[in-house]
Amino acid sequence: MGYDPTNPMEGRITDLGPRHYTEMLPPVIAANKGKWDYHEIIAPGVLVHVSESGDKCYTVRVGSPRLVSIEYIRELCDIADKHCKGYLRFTTRNNVEFMTDCKDACDALIAELKGRTTKFPIGGTGASITNIVHTQGWVHCHTPATDASGPVKAVMDDLFEYFGSMVLPAQVRIALACCLNMCGAVHASDIAILGIHRKPPMIDHSRITGVCEIPLAISACPLGAVKPAKAQVDGKEVKTVQVNAERCMFCGNCYTMCPAMPLADPDGDGIAILVGGKVSNSKSAPKFSKLVVPFLPNTPPRWPETVSVIRKIVEVYSKDARKYERIGEWAERIGWEKFFEKCDIPFTDKSIDDYRLAYDTWRTTTQFKYTKATDAYTKK
Amino acid sequence: MATIEHNGKSYEVDEDGFLLNGSESWDDNWVSYVKGVEGIGDLTEEHKKVIDALQEYYKKNGIAPMVRILSKTTGFPLKRIYELFPSGPGKGACKMAGLPKPTGCV
Repeated sequence: MGYDPTNPMEGRITDLGPRHYTEMLPPVIAANKGKWDYHEIIAPGVLVHVSESGDKCYTVRVGSPRLVSIEYIRELCDIADKHCKGYLRFTTRNNVEFMTDCKDACDALIAELKGRTTKFPIGGTGASITNIVHTQGWVHCHTPATDASGPVKAVMDDLFEYFGSMVLPAQVRIALACCLNMCGAVHASDIAILGIHRKPPMIDHSRITGVCEIPLAISACPLGAVKPAKAQVDGKEVKTVQVNAERCMFCGNCYTMCPAMPLADPDGDGIAILVGGKVSNSKSAPKFSKLVVPFLPNTPPRWPETVSVIRKIVEVYSKDARKYERIGEWAERIGWEKFFEKCDIPFTDKSIDDYRLAYDTWRTTTQFKYTKATDAYTKK
Repeated sequence: MATIEHNGKSYEVDEDGFLLNGSESWDDNWVSYVKGVEGIGDLTEEHKKVIDALQEYYKKNGIAPMVRILSKTTGFPLKRIYELFPSGPGKGACKMAGLPKPTGCV
């Protein structure tokens, strides 16, 4: 029975939850679930898991742009039908994995994927740069300060060699969020690309009373910069808000709560780069990423400034860090002053924390290393 | 922005059908219009109680009540509110009461 808009609750099915994952397991995985003995990365993007029973599962990981068409998904399904008995999976970084239980099928699968130009690049395993976790950007969201799919394509084009190889000291996780809601993983990634604003919101007094719950806009502000106010609209007094621009740090939370306070601006908006976060507990505890480049302009369609800063960080890290060392562990070992010097990134006051618990992030020791930056400062 | 005509009266609404001027243009005629588009059969005293509770709270506090507060003041558990307003307290009841469209990450 089709949906009847005059009787919407008729025949309505609800609260079914997702399909159970066991319905979609490849046979070799269903048979060996919980019995895996060890695994190897036999080539970039190709893994083999060996079970206690001796069964093997070959996995081929390919990059995906995350935002895909139905045609693209059907093509994935065709490949899975041809080589993998119709099974495939997506990873937590939106790569696609095809699995087979024999080496010959795996080789045929790899040949097939390579035959489709770079549509299905194989890689993303081991000490590589795998897919960039990212958000909606200008494709679908209303609060972004930058695009998501565009910068991701530009950065991955530039770092493509690192996707299909495993030459870095450790894996480098790059993430992008188009505003500081930070949907996704930017707060805990090796390199994070973050959309930021640099101008306070504009207040539309004529609309605000009708479309906005004013106390919500006031309490949305982390700095108490939004205050209730009155304004004249067509000779009539209306309830509205005012923003203390001196206190505003352009987070955009008030716009999230109140559509009459937009702040996106083509010249003001841009990208900040954060580095050194991680989520795993291996060797060191999980870390938040830290701000190192406060602002880079939005330069669609290729964002060359952002791309070159990220490449620089990756190359310096790749040469300087020890094996297994993540970017954050490397920066903390050599000292952040050395990180800035080696990566040739100018240190600005924007990197000095000034929000509530800032004190703990300042240096309360005489231990530091002289750098070009301290040199220039002490010679003044 | 769009205008909706119902029983000879017109209302300024946004693309999701929420009143742009809130209580200024709200009336019983608006309730009967929303009743049709939100899949609500007969308007009962219970519907009125929810609408009154929303409007009273909004007038006093400038915000829509949190769901728990709405349940507490009306005495209706969330399940009953969904039975009354199939689209839920935000999209259904707040729209009918003439409150601003809920915002944030919804």
